[in-house]
Amino acid sequence: MGLYLAVAIRAFRRATAYRAAYLAGIITNAFFGALVCFVYQALYAAGGSVAGLSLRDAVSYTWATQSLISIGAGWVTSTEISSSIATGDVVADLYRPWSFYLYWLSRSLGERTFNLLFRGSLTYLIGVLYFGARVPGPAELLAFAPAIALAMLISFSFSFMVNLSAFWLLDATGAILMANVLLSFFSGFLLPLAFFPPALQAVARALPFQAITALPAQIFLGQTRGPAVAAALAVQLFWAAALAALALAVQAAAMRKVVVQGG
Amino acid sequence: MLALYFRLIGARVRAQLQYRASFWLQLVSFGLVSGLEFAVIAILVGRFGGVGGWSVAETALLYGLTSLAFSFAEMVGRGFDAPFERLIQQGGFDGVLSRPLGSFFQILTSDFQLRRLGRSAQALLVLGYAFAQLEIAWTPDRLLLVPLTVASGATIYLALVVIGATLCFWTVRTPEVINVFTFGGEQLTSYPLSIYQEWLRTFFLFIVPVGFANYPAGLYLLGRADPHGLPAWLAWCAPLAALAFLALALRFWAFGVSKYTSTGS
Repeated sequence: MGLYLAVAIRAFRRATAYRAAYLAGIITNAFFGALVCFVYQALYAAGGSVAGLSLRDAVSYTWATQSLISIGAGWVTSTEISSSIATGDVVADLYRPWSFYLYWLSRSLGERTFNLLFRGSLTYLIGVLYFGARVPGPAELLAFAPAIALAMLISFSFSFMVNLSAFWLLDATGAILMANVLLSFFSGFLLPLAFFPPALQAVARALPFQAITALPAQIFLGQTRGPAVAAALAVQLFWAAALAALALAVQAAAMRKVVVQGG
Repeated sequence: MLALYFRLIGARVRAQLQYRASFWLQLVSFGLVSGLEFAVIAILVGRFGGVGGWSVAETALLYGLTSLAFSFAEMVGRGFDAPFERLIQQGGFDGVLSRPLGSFFQILTSDFQLRRLGRSAQALLVLGYAFAQLEIAWTPDRLLLVPLTVASGATIYLALVVIGATLCFWTVRTPEVINVFTFGGEQLTSYPLSIYQEWLRTFFLFIVPVGFANYPAGLYLLGRADPHGLPAWLAWCAPLAALAFLALALRFWAFGVSKYTSTGS
């Protein structure tokens, strides 16, 4: 446990080193956030609310999801594992006396905690200052803490499996592209699930991706409140457990594959 | 020079076709990724019953034109994207400078992504849907305007990719900044330009002229007037704007090359 904590702390510290890159990232996320908001302003020209969302709701949701990009809300952000598989460097990591899954999980959590605290919060601040995105109250923040922690776990397990496909495909580029199509659309990153046609909405509710992006964003904004928060957290907990189990099973299968290759 | 271009590009294309399964998988993936872009637009515009007075089919016309242009620029200009960034990071640009050929030409021919045809195919489908749905009076001038606009748009996107790459001479590592120019421009022009505030409209027509990739032509094809008073003949200025912008990008590139300092690795 202490070992994994140390790995996470190092990943957090390493993340603090690339300040210029984070600044460029924040500007990029804010630019796209602003673009989407301009479109919403035109769409809502007639005022009122559509599918239960007002202009301010849609704008706040846009900034919340843009702020969560660096914790994996929009697409698979890390391809380190699949590159290490392609180059063969992964063998060194597999020799080490620790769990391969937990090692990468600790690294991911350390880095993403930094991303959330600095990159994400600063991006959202731009939305608050220039587009009037909603500022959450203490109750929302309190519920958001477990929601975002679970979202990070689910996001990691998914990204881990996609990366591990490199053991079979060698080049994971195609798999990552496909994963991003599914994730960015069904997570509610590209547009709120409330705007989906009913059939697509039902599909999105049955998939794990909404637990990565839409559920924590809605809790953060108070769009999910009261007993619905507990229900949302339960859904997240289910997917966190299910995807972790699946990721470990994929890892076990990959290990057998490595042995077959004689690696 | 042109013969050399096709010879080098032919080699790149043949190399990509060696990995047949991977090539087709990626081609389909690119088609799906861009298909998603239009799905999002269609869902949103459909849900709200139009955007700025443009219906789903009219927005499809705008999206098809800009996305087709963008796909061509991605295909031709790939050498200035991720491969160029790697070249700068690893100091490989030193080698480029030592060869007896212009650096721009060498980078242009360093890659050519045939798999981006996936996006072109998707854009053509959307454009076909728009043409089928809309009642456009196909006069000869309108027929001529479509390819002219796509070629101009592709030139403008290519110039943006070059500008993004030139920034790499100073920042060494800026993939996300390139996205702001290219994907940002594509996303912005997927909706009618008239919905944006005046400074944005002016900026994206007369400074970074990515608006010329579709909006004035869209008005002309549909025989509509711009609510902010843009003249109809502006549609014919797209090639001028594209060439002027490309010239600017080439000047910036030359300036960047003159300021290049190797990473030394």
